[in-house]
Amino acid sequence: MSLIFPKWLNLLPTAAAIGGLLGFTGVVGGFWYYATPKFFKVGYMPKQPGGGFNHQIHAGKLGLDCRYCHTKVEKSAEANIPNVATCYGCHADNRLAKLATSETHKERTQFVREAYAQNTSIEWRRVHKVPDYVRNFPHNIHINAGVSCYSCHGQITAMPVVFEAQPLSMSWCLDCHRNPESQVVPRDKVTQLQWVQEEFARRSAAGDNGVAEGKKLLDAVQANPPQNCGACHY
Amino acid sequence: MSTIHPDQITAERLAGLTRGVQGGMAPAPGTGDGTLIDTPGVRPPLVLNSRSFKEVTDIICGYAENSPPRWWLPLFGLVSTVAGLGGALIGYLVITGIGAWGMNNQVDWAWDITNFVFWIGIGHAGTLISAILCLLKQKWRTAVNRSAEAMTIFAVICAATFPGIHIGRQWMAWMLFPIPNANAIWPNFRSPLLWDVFAVSTYGTVSALFWFMGMIPDFASLRDRADRRLRANPEGGARLLPFLPVRIDRLRALVYGFLAMGWRNSGRHWHRYEAAYLILAGISTPLVLSVHSIVSFDFATSILPGWHTTIFPPYFVAGAIFGGFAMVLFLLIPARELYPNMKDFITLRHVENMAKIILVTGMMVGFAYSMEFFIAWYGANEYELYCFQNRAFGPYWWAYWTMIGCNVLSPQLFWFKAMRQKPLVVFIVSCAVTVGMWFERFVIIVSSLHRTFLPGEWNMFHPTFVDVGIFVGSCGVFVTLFLLFMRFLPMFAMAELKAVLPQASPHWHGYGHGDHSDHGHGANGHNGHDSHAPARHSSRGAH
Repeated sequence: MSLIFPKWLNLLPTAAAIGGLLGFTGVVGGFWYYATPKFFKVGYMPKQPGGGFNHQIHAGKLGLDCRYCHTKVEKSAEANIPNVATCYGCHADNRLAKLATSETHKERTQFVREAYAQNTSIEWRRVHKVPDYVRNFPHNIHINAGVSCYSCHGQITAMPVVFEAQPLSMSWCLDCHRNPESQVVPRDKVTQLQWVQEEFARRSAAGDNGVAEGKKLLDAVQANPPQNCGACHY
Repeated sequence: MSTIHPDQITAERLAGLTRGVQGGMAPAPGTGDGTLIDTPGVRPPLVLNSRSFKEVTDIICGYAENSPPRWWLPLFGLVSTVAGLGGALIGYLVITGIGAWGMNNQVDWAWDITNFVFWIGIGHAGTLISAILCLLKQKWRTAVNRSAEAMTIFAVICAATFPGIHIGRQWMAWMLFPIPNANAIWPNFRSPLLWDVFAVSTYGTVSALFWFMGMIPDFASLRDRADRRLRANPEGGARLLPFLPVRIDRLRALVYGFLAMGWRNSGRHWHRYEAAYLILAGISTPLVLSVHSIVSFDFATSILPGWHTTIFPPYFVAGAIFGGFAMVLFLLIPARELYPNMKDFITLRHVENMAKIILVTGMMVGFAYSMEFFIAWYGANEYELYCFQNRAFGPYWWAYWTMIGCNVLSPQLFWFKAMRQKPLVVFIVSCAVTVGMWFERFVIIVSSLHRTFLPGEWNMFHPTFVDVGIFVGSCGVFVTLFLLFMRFLPMFAMAELKAVLPQASPHWHGYGHGDHSDHGHGANGHNGHDSHAPARHSSRGAH
């Protein structure tokens, strides 16, 4: 046998094995953390016209119901974005005095009145979007089955600017479709996000994560979330 | 047997009395190169020209060390260009989409899966030779196992390309494997397409391990020879390129040394090596049968007439071994003509043995073809019957009869000893079988798909230049890899080849001693003393 390599090279197999293992773990871990929707989708908060519709003030402090603006959410697949007229209903010149008096507020909502005067739309940026190979997410079905806005959109009433609170990945959808009990609330509480958050906290403290209660609610509406491909992709 | 062999020259040569002409010898009349003796008392030698251990090493290492034959570089340029064009067409396919192929809604598998099954089948000869023939102690395998294993690996590489590119969104190919993902979906574990992924990847891994492990002692020989030349000539020696300071032997010592993994030729190493070899042979043995069975399930578990057949697994396995041996002969018959001294190792006996395997497996395949028709009639299912009538007499009749002509008729030549023993005839038949086996898969896939239950769906398949180009490109990849193998790697398992030399026998008496009267030249101890036939001298190994 010829001596070609130095003796320390005997460490190579060990080093390669350890390096390979660490490298593999690093790649898998890095991919799992950085390349999945829970990293690159959660927290998505695009810049909105006029600084954005402040849900914290409107839905939280003032207590507007979600359905005041998203009028068709119970009847249509699409949770519609309100048109300018809905905004103008409150933010018209003659009403403004009663609602907010400061100059800053008047300035910050000026774009609403301008858009109304010019008969154009406000170009809100879409925050929650599922891929194009997914059928339009049917809001009406979920709402009527007792899935709260809170389950997918997070505590909107505390968001000055809306951001994506959940990953909206397929596994995230399936988590709920496979175990729907944990996310069901009574039908009349669906849009009361503060109540829902407290209810979920109460249930998780209760021990069984509210499975028993959720089952009762599911039975009441006879909901059976589908898991077949065609339910969402066609 | 008490007389010497009728062919005096052969007999003397076999006895080690005379040496053949270096670089190939004049075949003795009637007995070819001397290995075709069919007298039961004579065991023909497995290596000709009474090669010594050193000569075996010199010749085989020489294939990797000396400049390649003159035809090597032009041929390599040609086939690697073809391979490159095939790669470019795959790029075109990925960019354009699989509409670039001639498939349609009715014939939704065509050349892609035909090529996949064709290539994966080719590999089976290598596994059969390295695993089953090893366990059955068929010693003639030592001359062909290395190249057959190499061929297996290269065929698996070609095969694995096609499922990867036929899926349409090639960047999603990772979804073939059960990998946890953000979609929380898994491949269907009840689908044979997933079993296929496991079967082929296991097959590729085990074959690569077997191939590599077998080469370790030979890598060590190449390393030591390079190192010895460096020591003998510390300053000189050929350089990689004239202006580079890197000497070729230095590079060889490093690369082969790395691949040899510190092989010291110690008894302990050989002990481990033999054990590992047997274990891998044991693991590979079921793979010979399982891989192509599972490939056949891709079809057999469907409900399509022409595919939904229980005969498919054994029929596919026989066809795979059939096509694989044809490919081994297709590669090795030209190689033994073109490389110096290679006929000493790959003798006419090897060619004849493989021709016999082709005859047997060809008959099995022919039986399967006829049994499919019988069951189609006997089963009284009108769709099944129509499918087979359509196969033979429908619009793809020419493909069917090409298959029958190449796979069933052409091997019948091998009933005749004279045909089995003529390398040119064997080469032509092996070409025909290779073509026929490609057509077999085309017939099974396209002729079954193009006319299914509803006549409204019927459609024809017309290949595009992309179909043709990618298939030709895969042939280019295969030959390119094989040429590289012949140029840079040990083409024979040297240690195994030496073990079948007469010198390896404990009863061997020495090189070329003149006494051949009744002294007992027999390498086999049990007949050593009742023989004075010189032809027995080199008698080791089964045939």
